[in-house]
Amino acid sequence: MSAWTSTSRGASKSAWPAWLRSPRVLAGLAVVSAIALIALAAPLLAPHDPNEQNLVATFLPPAWANGGEAAFPLGTDSLGRCTLSRLIYGARIAMTVAIVASLGAMLIGAVLAHIAGYFGGATDWLIGRTVDVWMSFPPVILSLILMVGLGTGLRNVILAIVLVDWTRFCRVLRAEVLVVTRRDYVAAARLVGFSHWRTITREILPATLPLLITLVSLEMGIAVIVEAILSFVGMSVEPTIPTWGQMIADARQFIYDSPWNLTFPILAIFVTVLGFNVLGDGLRRTLDVRLTESRA
Amino acid sequence: MSLLVADKLTVSTTLDGAHVPVLRDLSFSLQGGKVLGLVGESGAGKSMVGRAVAQLLPAGFAVSGGSLAFAGADLVAMAAEARRNLLGRAIAFIPQEPLSALNPVLTIAAQFNEHLARIGVAARERRERMLAAFDAVHLPRGAELLTRYPHQLSGGMCQRVLIAFAFASHPKLVIADEPTTALDVTIQARIVRLIAEMQEREDTAVLFITHDLRLAAQVCDDILVLYAGRAVEYGPARKVFAAPGHPYTRCLQLANPAMHARRGLYALPERMPGLRAYAGIPGCAFAPRCPHGVDACRAAPPPLVEVGAAQGATGHVAACIRAPLTSQIAAPAEPPPEAVAAAAPILAVANLTKRFTSGGLLRRSAFTAVNDVSFTLRANEFVGIVGESGSGKSTLARLIVGLEAPSAGRIAIAGVEASDPAFAAHRRRHVQMVFQDPQSALNPRRRVASIVTQPLEAAGHIGWEERLARAGLLLGEIGLPADAALRFPAQLSGGQRQRVNIARALCALPRILIADEIVSGLDVSVQAQLLNLLAALRRERHFAMLFISHDLSVVRYLCDRVLVMTRGEVVEAGPTEQVFAAPAHEYTRALLAAVPPDDPAEVWEGLRA
Repeated sequence: MSAWTSTSRGASKSAWPAWLRSPRVLAGLAVVSAIALIALAAPLLAPHDPNEQNLVATFLPPAWANGGEAAFPLGTDSLGRCTLSRLIYGARIAMTVAIVASLGAMLIGAVLAHIAGYFGGATDWLIGRTVDVWMSFPPVILSLILMVGLGTGLRNVILAIVLVDWTRFCRVLRAEVLVVTRRDYVAAARLVGFSHWRTITREILPATLPLLITLVSLEMGIAVIVEAILSFVGMSVEPTIPTWGQMIADARQFIYDSPWNLTFPILAIFVTVLGFNVLGDGLRRTLDVRLTESRA
Repeated sequence: MSLLVADKLTVSTTLDGAHVPVLRDLSFSLQGGKVLGLVGESGAGKSMVGRAVAQLLPAGFAVSGGSLAFAGADLVAMAAEARRNLLGRAIAFIPQEPLSALNPVLTIAAQFNEHLARIGVAARERRERMLAAFDAVHLPRGAELLTRYPHQLSGGMCQRVLIAFAFASHPKLVIADEPTTALDVTIQARIVRLIAEMQEREDTAVLFITHDLRLAAQVCDDILVLYAGRAVEYGPARKVFAAPGHPYTRCLQLANPAMHARRGLYALPERMPGLRAYAGIPGCAFAPRCPHGVDACRAAPPPLVEVGAAQGATGHVAACIRAPLTSQIAAPAEPPPEAVAAAAPILAVANLTKRFTSGGLLRRSAFTAVNDVSFTLRANEFVGIVGESGSGKSTLARLIVGLEAPSAGRIAIAGVEASDPAFAAHRRRHVQMVFQDPQSALNPRRRVASIVTQPLEAAGHIGWEERLARAGLLLGEIGLPADAALRFPAQLSGGQRQRVNIARALCALPRILIADEIVSGLDVSVQAQLLNLLAALRRERHFAMLFISHDLSVVRYLCDRVLVMTRGEVVEAGPTEQVFAAPAHEYTRALLAAVPPDDPAEVWEGLRA
């Protein structure tokens, strides 16, 4: 049927871009940036050294519970270390891994996805099959194997996550690149003399960027979980550096004596991942062209 | 007695909290067994009439005034249950897009069976009825057809199936909403003929919704011309066509290129006001574009008055206070023919072939899209390529601009052969392409100025100031206001986008322009604007153009020579006048016969054949 043409659509103009006005994005951003700030300011915020043992005050409950002490707001663990301080320092590893690993995975995945989707043919086939084979390994096992091979350490944790998760970006983005590449404006850009590089960066990338940003924010949540799993089994950073996964592993043995020690790191992981996911979902809703175009 | 009567029908919607009418005070009556044509450009509200009758108005739209009666019963006040009983039985619908109207996962038999069950045909009679219905719409091998899925049928066959569905219940009224728009030219005529035949046989009334005035004049008894939600002219088809009372009808007529007469195109300025804009127009909505508009037109909406009242009541009415002046609107003189240089051809194509292979390593299938095509294009010459979908004309265009590599044959551009190492750069400098769908051809994230000066961006680092200045010149040349430079494509109308598309191709001063269906999908008045623009640009810029189109009248208006393509081959070539006046190939004759004649009094071959 014939569509009515509306000429003016400037009613909802505002100084803020649409994605910054979405409540989901704002909520997710608030949670994530709060945790990032805590991680940055850890030495200022933590009441104790995270590795300082206090063997006369082990298994202290939180300050508000019966028998708690004000000096240890969230209690202490089996070695009398301050839970709050360990949580705060644990955020540093979690955020570092989340940001660096997801950006690394994005970089590899996005570059290969654009090459595969844009050039097609044998290139696409090769990259596509590599992704298929790569994805047929269970991700956690693959990262464990990588960690065994690489050895522990922050850099290796990040490397392991990047090597496992780039396929996620590659597969989803390739489909999007394929759609955009078939648009006539990409052909038109080639016809007026754009090089392949310029066509990809000026014509295709701007169209795939919203999806890319959304995927990165979701990947950050995944990276937090993978890091927690690796440190839970002791395959992450050195044991002297506190991490959330390691705290869970420590508390697991005393789960009946001191459930608090298990609760707080789990809660920290939960809030962080939720923050990234809400942010990612909000970005998807506001940046995804397919969703916004149908509403316009 | 009239079967369908609309009396001051008004349909409104709510826009930003305000009530906006989309159809205003529409009155018409349709007798049983007659055909009423609703004609207008996109946005005029013609589909809304059909939807109001079927009570399928989109969400947020409602009948807010007047009445609509079917066989004496009020359709607006009718209970939902009673109305549902009418639909599919007494009132049937033929949709615009036959392929999307059929369920792709069910066989034709399953869908027909469902429909027959709904209209109350006993189970054991259904198969008989289906086969008879297919027979009536000239679909051969009905039994085999029943086992097929919609994707296994062509668009034309799907439309026949849907016509069979529509007439299966022996309806009193059939609403056909642009039933041929999505189909190929030669199929269009057959479908129109079929609807006419079924209408006569069943003595059914048809509400025929179309944008094509010439087609409506051929098949309709009465015509109602809509503009911005109002009836501007209503009357017997032949009378309306022969002597339009409303300037809009006359302008529509003259905007369509003629198949026989040599005349220029009347290009109405601007376009129909949008929904929001025309709600605020107190007088005649057409006045701002009307060649005879005066202040009195803008005071109040003109009533529908008898045209040529001297002859007594003719039933031909037009909403124009200056109707007697309408006949003075004349098409501009045909632009003088351009001198085509007799020099060496600027583009020479010889034995060009393109085969596509598909399938895996073992079962490969090849398809020849372009087969042994040879032709030449000289400087400042416009050559048209006509053919239906699948004829290979678009592939040919992509081969010439280099978006596809040929399987065989040679291309030479301004004397440089494809084997020359400098060919790619040479081709890029001299050949540009204008794409069919401006929606897809313009990057939605770039501003107009950035799009039209893209060739400068490719050439190197040129400042934004300089590009903006160049864009201003280009926009002036293609008839867009200077302030369009900073807009995004989404903020432009379809016609304006196509102008931007042309401007980008012209930016680097190419000597050859390849235009692939660049005016299809546009309204006639916008099409006329673009055709006149192309003709004017040719006089200034002296470029050659390969103009690909399925519309023969457009090709005849614009092109010096024409190539007729079917199944990847050129079956006829020659000067346009000569080919159209004395077509030598059978396919060319079929194509020409499928176009409704300029004068409705003439016998339309396509409808008789």
